[in-house]
Amino acid sequence: MATPPSATAPGTSPSLARSRPRHGEQIIKVVLLLAALVSVATTIGIVVSLLEPTIRFFGEVSAVEFFTSTSWGPLFEPPGYGVLPLVSATLITTGIAVVVAVPLGLGAAIYLSEYARPRVRQICKPVLEVLAGIPTVVFGFFALSFVTPLLRGILPFEIEIFNALCAGLVVGFMIIPIVASLSEDAMTAVPRALREGSFALGASKMTTSVRVVLPAAFSGIVAAVILAVSRGAGETMIVYIAGGGQPNFTFDLGKAMQTMAAFIAQAGSGDVPIGTVDYNTIFAVGSLLFVMTFAMNYVSARLVRRYREVYE
Amino acid sequence: MTDIGTSIPSVTVRGPQAPGNTAALDPVFTVSDLSVFYGEYEAVRQVDLSIGNREITAMIGPSGCGKSTVLRCFNRMNDLIPGARAAGKILYHGEDLYGDHVDPIEVRRRIGMVFQKPNPFPKSIYDNIAYGPRVNGTKGKMDEVVEEALTQAALWDEVKDKLKQNALSLSGGQQQRLCIARAIAVKPEVILMDEPCSALDPIATTKIEDLMQQLARDYTIVIVTHNMQQAARVSNRTAFFTADVDDKGERHGRLVEFDETSRIFTNPTDQRTEDYITGRFG
Repeated sequence: MATPPSATAPGTSPSLARSRPRHGEQIIKVVLLLAALVSVATTIGIVVSLLEPTIRFFGEVSAVEFFTSTSWGPLFEPPGYGVLPLVSATLITTGIAVVVAVPLGLGAAIYLSEYARPRVRQICKPVLEVLAGIPTVVFGFFALSFVTPLLRGILPFEIEIFNALCAGLVVGFMIIPIVASLSEDAMTAVPRALREGSFALGASKMTTSVRVVLPAAFSGIVAAVILAVSRGAGETMIVYIAGGGQPNFTFDLGKAMQTMAAFIAQAGSGDVPIGTVDYNTIFAVGSLLFVMTFAMNYVSARLVRRYREVYE
Repeated sequence: MTDIGTSIPSVTVRGPQAPGNTAALDPVFTVSDLSVFYGEYEAVRQVDLSIGNREITAMIGPSGCGKSTVLRCFNRMNDLIPGARAAGKILYHGEDLYGDHVDPIEVRRRIGMVFQKPNPFPKSIYDNIAYGPRVNGTKGKMDEVVEEALTQAALWDEVKDKLKQNALSLSGGQQQRLCIARAIAVKPEVILMDEPCSALDPIATTKIEDLMQQLARDYTIVIVTHNMQQAARVSNRTAFFTADVDDKGERHGRLVEFDETSRIFTNPTDQRTEDYITGRFG
């Protein structure tokens, strides 16, 4: 028995070399890589296609005017290229949307993950997610034909038919399911042991939810809010339909406003000849929207890394 | 080893206060005819038991015998499980723990709990200890509360220079002592421990056991353990549970024997207890 295993005796010592080829593994690896590359390539493609017309735009229009003038009307005569009205409209509608969606979405998430009985959750969550599947154009007409008249009936001040307030509110409703559903996932993933630890110290359900579960799920919740805000900032149809098409530089929520995305939709659906300044304007605004959303994502990712509570 | 009745090996018994000679029981909890249900399923059947003031009571028995379930009745932790229900009576200083007027949150403030796996909050060491007092509206010098709790849990010297560090940076044994400190910080009367050492190495286990002995001077402790030697080492009284299997194949936990630890480990009255502690099953 002391003789070492010999390679010349295959019957007693089978080789450790691969016995049969595994081509499938290689093929799957390549297919999966391609799948990952498609989204990367798309992103790069978008950046490149935005960049070229944008550069040409700034060859003809001064960046100072673009970023400081408050008069927007590239299709008018004489044209105005000050993007601030679009930026302020975008920030205002997104801001209203966040004010609506974050408390309601988080409230729904806390209810579903901490309070609801399993049966209620099983029914409520899919229903909530249906809301996310409604086409935004439907939301847009819902805003214009239902919410605006309702607001005009109950608000003590005058609002126009097309107004930023209604547009922002309905964008908020649209992104509630994103906040709620993703936050609920993050909260449900918090180990039960942490909740028990809190309850065992005499904490109530609310205290446990707010002071233990929410902080532990913080990174997931912030990710949910970022995604929702990005969707809201880039939201087009609702603000196009309900917000009106006038690029007013105003902070009066009852006035019509045009967001960046709404301008792109409006100009893009018109007959703007390729290669003209008007055409390049669309891409300049698109680039700016892209940069703003990207910057927000980046900053929040940094914040999350700093404040999150890792529970494993 | 033929005559197990007279020779029970390798178990040293020492109660924390008066080894082998526990004083008369001064009950904190009096359990009578307790059955616990999860939905239709009766997990534990007809338990009668008393927990003595400032004693360590161990609950031992094989897996699935309902000892943790009973433990979790003492602070109404089972309330949090949908469908869980307790029948029978648990008196806490003569007051019905499941009475209509009883607030489970108040119960849990007076009766702390330490869990099987250390479960510190993903916060700083300081905030972990301060959480309970803050939640319960304690005013005053939080720094002192934190220091006192950590000192009582024999952890202060190890962590005093890193109170702002995340609690999860501690070792498993330190985390468990932190959880004990966290429980102490709200000044409970009773500490329930659900297999507190099962996730720890022997050295950390020894530290926790020493700590329990010290805490028993001020607190009533109930510990569930799989480790019989641990029960023998630390407890004054031991309750031995087992599970009966009914004709439907369902297991129902049942208390077999409850007595002074020295008696349980040297001269048990029930054959099943003897079989278990001598390693014949379980």
